[in-house]
Amino acid sequence: MSMNRRDFLKVSAGTSGGLILAFTLPGCASIQTGYQSETGQWKPDAWLELNKDDTIRFTLAHVEMGQGTYTGLTTLIAEELEVDPSAIDPHFAPVAPEYRNPRFNLQLTGGSTSIASSWEPLRVAGASARQMLMMAAARVWQVDVKECSARDGKVIHPNGNESLRYGQLVELAAKETIRGDVKLKPRSEWKYIGKQNRRLDAREKSTGTAVYGIDVELPGMVYAVVSRPPRHGGKVQSFNGDHVRGLPGVLDVFEIERGVAIVADKYWRARKAQSALSVSWDFSDALDWSDDQVFDFYRAAADDDRGASERSEGNYDKAAKTSGKIIKAEYAQPFLAHVTMEPMNATVWYRGSSAEVWASTQAPDLARIAAARMTDLSPSDITVNTMFLGGGFGRRLTQDFVEEAAAISFHMRLPVKVIWSREEDIQHDLFRPAMLHRMAATMDDGRLTGWHHQIVGPKILTWFIRNAAPAQYPWAPKFMYNTLGKVGLLAEGIAVPKDMSAIEGAVGYPYNVANIDIRHTQTDPGVPITWWRSVGYSHNGFAVETFMDELAYEAGEDPYQFRRKLLASEPRHLAVLDRAAQLAAWDKPVPDGRARGIALFRSFDTYIAQVVEAGIENGAIRVYRVSASVDCGQVVNPRIIEDQIEGGILFGLSAALYGDIHFKNGEVQESNFHDYKVMSQYDRPEVAVDIVDSNETPTGIGEPGVPPVIPALGNALFALTGKRQRSLPLIADA
Amino acid sequence: MAFNLIVNGEERQLDVEGDTPLLWVIRDDLGLKGTKFGCGAGLCGACTVHLNGEPIRSCSTPVEMAAGQRVTTIEGLSDDGRLHPLQQAWIDQGVPQCGYCQSGQIMTAAHLLATNASPARDDIVAAMTGNLCRCGTYTRIVAAVESVAGTQASDQKEGA
Repeated sequence: MSMNRRDFLKVSAGTSGGLILAFTLPGCASIQTGYQSETGQWKPDAWLELNKDDTIRFTLAHVEMGQGTYTGLTTLIAEELEVDPSAIDPHFAPVAPEYRNPRFNLQLTGGSTSIASSWEPLRVAGASARQMLMMAAARVWQVDVKECSARDGKVIHPNGNESLRYGQLVELAAKETIRGDVKLKPRSEWKYIGKQNRRLDAREKSTGTAVYGIDVELPGMVYAVVSRPPRHGGKVQSFNGDHVRGLPGVLDVFEIERGVAIVADKYWRARKAQSALSVSWDFSDALDWSDDQVFDFYRAAADDDRGASERSEGNYDKAAKTSGKIIKAEYAQPFLAHVTMEPMNATVWYRGSSAEVWASTQAPDLARIAAARMTDLSPSDITVNTMFLGGGFGRRLTQDFVEEAAAISFHMRLPVKVIWSREEDIQHDLFRPAMLHRMAATMDDGRLTGWHHQIVGPKILTWFIRNAAPAQYPWAPKFMYNTLGKVGLLAEGIAVPKDMSAIEGAVGYPYNVANIDIRHTQTDPGVPITWWRSVGYSHNGFAVETFMDELAYEAGEDPYQFRRKLLASEPRHLAVLDRAAQLAAWDKPVPDGRARGIALFRSFDTYIAQVVEAGIENGAIRVYRVSASVDCGQVVNPRIIEDQIEGGILFGLSAALYGDIHFKNGEVQESNFHDYKVMSQYDRPEVAVDIVDSNETPTGIGEPGVPPVIPALGNALFALTGKRQRSLPLIADA
Repeated sequence: MAFNLIVNGEERQLDVEGDTPLLWVIRDDLGLKGTKFGCGAGLCGACTVHLNGEPIRSCSTPVEMAAGQRVTTIEGLSDDGRLHPLQQAWIDQGVPQCGYCQSGQIMTAAHLLATNASPARDDIVAAMTGNLCRCGTYTRIVAAVESVAGTQASDQKEGA
């Protein structure tokens, strides 16, 4: 990421403008910086607050959903500020333009961007504050600032004996101005980056004291559940509200945009009353098909339209006409649910002229738009309190749960907490889209000469833009929200980033092949969809890396060596491939009844290769071992990287082995963990993670573990059984 | 209905419907938010508490079944205000990611160690397998339990 340190320092010095704003659309800075004499608090920028009592608060612009931002981002700022990360008190940011993710121009956490997008700005913020503290101390001592140093929250006098605590210097430091660039510490002097191994949130998460959205408690708070149409697009026709209103604890029953709300004094009373609620639904515009039709629908679309060209090299069509051999395969992947451990929930307190939202959300500014949409308030009247997230995986980028709580609080004029049951969480999820992939390749003399990939399915932005576009223009009047959404879609690729959700990972095909033709056929079956951990990479990974495996066997080559030969000009791909193969002892035999599969996939700018060792035990697929090598640039916290890779692997295996959302006449059939299974402690394979030591800028780590494990497992099963599985989930008796 | 529960060693009086799941009594009537709602069907273990020392799924246990009995939640796991050795191990091993399931994991592990001070790897896996974690912290959970039991096996995950 390019960034001008001098621009940033304008913010540090307390003047208007600055880097983060420079990335955003016109607006005004809302975070007051500078020194507050009443409180003895110095805010050099939007992130840091240093106090006279030596406490240091750090505002996290990114949410913590398990991926480790709470620790990782704090480590970045601590390193340059010269304090121990555990001495910093992190808290989650309010909605403000300063906290927007520059990659999206929205205040959201997703796309594995937290460390990558904060790497430079947060270190500069820490270094700037440290420099100003040192300048202040130098002025007190009347010494050259270059002779001073900083350590453990103190500035050290050139004589090495005297020191001043940061708390003693904040008032003076606020008056200093930095001219020129701030110098960041060289790698050799890092104390925490690459070494920090603890999680700063481990204690509260091990004692039950971490506060998630579902734990919010307010005076006079009431609870609500919502009955939503069982088929997407259904509408309320009528319901027996009078009957339900008379049940114990029930305060009101009424229709909201998303269904029928039941409000009670206690959650369980609302939930119990729901079983007595009977709603007649109007399904005239509702989803009505069953999932066995979706791939026929996709196939028809694919036959009809070969799709928009997303990457073209050489001339694939010509190669296909003249080639000695064409290999074709079609891959089908189902709808998938997120199933975060904390079911969707939100608390909203509408107070007439203002409102407050408490939510486990990945996108606080979208939550604010959602609440504005459902009330008579403007976004600027609404405060959002971001809580710890009990899992996100992309689900919490959509704010439907906030919309419900806002609509109900607006009606009740009371603080309201809405909690979804697990069944509702699964059945009213927005899913990873089902996708179809048509692959073809040409081979001449055992050499891969052409690669054709047609991706068939929907794009996600269409479903996401409704709140996202207004969030980028929060001062726009509410009647413009729908227009903004439409304009946002028209501006895709021009004013807003191109929607890569269907094609990411396919267009980045890394293998050296002369003729490449990658296309996307847009077709949308109308099922609500959203981002799902690793998004398009999740399905493109399976299609690309399974087909590569098929081609290796067609060429009569070892799947690892086959890939290797095509990666001569891709050193980072090649390095992780070699290291994963070595870690798994690829060239050594496996125990009887087991086999290995390999896959390599770059996502979120991170390179990762995995080898899966699997077998079939008692009629079920058993994954024994996964060996992964990852290159995510500079390591900030090696333990969190291991955790994210292992977690990504288990997330991918859950999808590979169990993930399958079925629709019957428009209704989701799965409902809870018994029929939507996820990996358990018993299912857990041994996971070995090798991390490449690198000086490159850090890249994503929350998602890249997911994509390669799915094809690697499928490839292992092929090696074991000789039967190629081209649809997911994988089965033992293919 | 009026009930008595002994929660974390303290006698508590309640007036709730008898079929209310213990989970919601603990969370909303007693205000102890460390015990989590995950599935409402006893399938995920996030709501695990001890009833008379035995782990139960509080989401599927009507409060009337617990009347007059001893309930221990994550908040009462260690009664002297210090950390339970498992909680310390959880911190040292950096087990939690999102952390939402961890109260339940720790309550299950605490019962395991209370009944089997030096469990083998298989015992740990068998005891813990009903507690789901969507972040995939299972390896660190096993390592943390083993570190308290003093049974770290030689086949521990590389890199851990």
